[in-house]
Amino acid sequence: MVDTPLSSQDSAIILDRGYRSYDGPRTGRRGAMAAVVKEGYRRVLGLRRKAKRKLFPWTLIALALGSAALLVAIEWVSSTLPVSLDTSGLFPRYAGYFDFISTVALLFAAFTGPQLLVPDRTQGVLNVYFSRPLGVRDYLVAKAATFGAVILSFWLVPQLLLHLGFAALSPAGFLSYLGGTTDILWKVPAAALVYLTMHASLAFLAASFAKRVGNAAAGFVAVLLGLNLVALLLQEAGTAPGAKWTSLLALEQHPRHVRDWIFDMEASASIPAQAGFGPEASLMVVIGMAAVSVLLVGWRYRRLT
Amino acid sequence: MSDGPTGPRPADSPIIEARDLHKHFGAVRALAGVDLSVPPGITGLVGANGAGKTTLIRLLLGLAAPTSGDVAVFGTPVSRDAAGLRAKIGYMPEGSCLPRDQTAADFVAYAAELAGIPPAEARRRASETLFLVGLHEERFRYLGDFSTGMQQRVKLAQSIVHDPELVLLDEPASGLDPGGRDQMLEVINRFREFGMNVLFSSHLLDDIEQTCDWVVMLDGGRLLRSAPLDPPDDGAAVSVEVFGDPLPLVAALTTRGIEVTHDGRVVTAMSSSDDVFVAVRDSLAASGSSIRAMGADLRSLEDVFMAATRESHG
Repeated sequence: MVDTPLSSQDSAIILDRGYRSYDGPRTGRRGAMAAVVKEGYRRVLGLRRKAKRKLFPWTLIALALGSAALLVAIEWVSSTLPVSLDTSGLFPRYAGYFDFISTVALLFAAFTGPQLLVPDRTQGVLNVYFSRPLGVRDYLVAKAATFGAVILSFWLVPQLLLHLGFAALSPAGFLSYLGGTTDILWKVPAAALVYLTMHASLAFLAASFAKRVGNAAAGFVAVLLGLNLVALLLQEAGTAPGAKWTSLLALEQHPRHVRDWIFDMEASASIPAQAGFGPEASLMVVIGMAAVSVLLVGWRYRRLT
Repeated sequence: MSDGPTGPRPADSPIIEARDLHKHFGAVRALAGVDLSVPPGITGLVGANGAGKTTLIRLLLGLAAPTSGDVAVFGTPVSRDAAGLRAKIGYMPEGSCLPRDQTAADFVAYAAELAGIPPAEARRRASETLFLVGLHEERFRYLGDFSTGMQQRVKLAQSIVHDPELVLLDEPASGLDPGGRDQMLEVINRFREFGMNVLFSSHLLDDIEQTCDWVVMLDGGRLLRSAPLDPPDDGAAVSVEVFGDPLPLVAALTTRGIEVTHDGRVVTAMSSSDDVFVAVRDSLAASGSSIRAMGADLRSLEDVFMAATRESHG
């Protein structure tokens, strides 16, 4: 009789390893915070969630990327026309892109902040977070980092696409264009950071007190746009010497005012600029809002625990 | 209570110690002078709603600070290294703690990562832990689609996925049907095999009796009792409920050298010898008492708890 050697299939067995103790490395607070950031990114983008959870964020992302691609396409079409057209004044470039997608970006920020904070609180998941080696401050810092990463990606990835597109189409050549526009490598991120700071401050404030994601998002948009209207009306109706201060209520306009400063543009038609405030004042408002938000959100979460 | 670990802890060292522990929320006194020493094993924490069970658990996790007094876990004061201790502790809260839009596997793996387990290992452990609690087949379903019983199991899984040394379970069988409750208690009983210590809060005293080695009783923030659950092996006891006056029976039993207590018309006779039934029979005959009910005295944990509460309230 000849022994037939067992094939790998024959020798395969199923092992129930069961519950095992764990003696491996533990990553501590830093690992826990990294996990919060990773999971926050997934939640905002709807990754590892049902398809309907992906719809809203990816529609906004597609709009942002599509806008940048559209601007590059317009640049390409104009460069292939037989007659030379100067489209620089007609279509937005780096600074103008912030205005071009401001509504989409506002909606994305309105969605992101509440998604990061509200479900954890209303569904009781904070009990799990704070039973781990993670404090309230660690949790909020990780959530703010997630918001920053998501929103900066939202602003900067289309801008990068825009930059590379313009460079590829430049008559001076790709590398020459990049070499000649190094200033935007800090200007675009700096402007995005200002928008981010204002949006994060308000979005986290709304998300810390609202009981539903939709309410927080609506509150965020209503405050930003509603205060614009209030500031405008008060400014126009006011005859008292202090009336111009009401323009500082237009929170949505301050990042725009600072952006013009960063890009060395003439003062735009933003409400604070019309009232005679310099960009430094708008920057102070942005920083002030961030400070107020840190204090109130921190207070709220310390009370919760 | 030691000031902290200075070397390997003896296996039978207390896992939880509290000394003169007070916790007040404004005018409300949640804990009042609790002195406690809990040995390794599975410990039941019993008390009515508002007795201070959840407050004690929160103090053990370092989520609240005591108004005064000290509390230590594994010999380390919680105030000194709450985050470090939480890495060794698992916690199953009483209320909801599950995100509805995540799968069970994703959430339990995430809970492991939050406790510092690297991501790849976290996913493996999540799978094994969900297998242990009987949810292996359902692990890729969304938590929002789970029944209450399945959600309780996921809550249990997240509390042990990181291999804690101590698991704090706050009403783990809450909301479960009898079958689900039995399965839950069976899993908790298996924690002994894994070397886990458990503090198991419940107002269902049957659950505590089925599961625990030690019991801590709280009432109105005060400690009523912290003792082994097994009744002392001090011989047999017989309870007799009589019609009419129980005192002739009490007297007859006492003359036979039997230890007797009585509560209303229920007389309990205890003896270290096995002939207590004979003594009760003879005493009944001698006293002329009529029996309404009679049987071996099986004092339940509820009886012990009620007696301790009565004693405490004077």
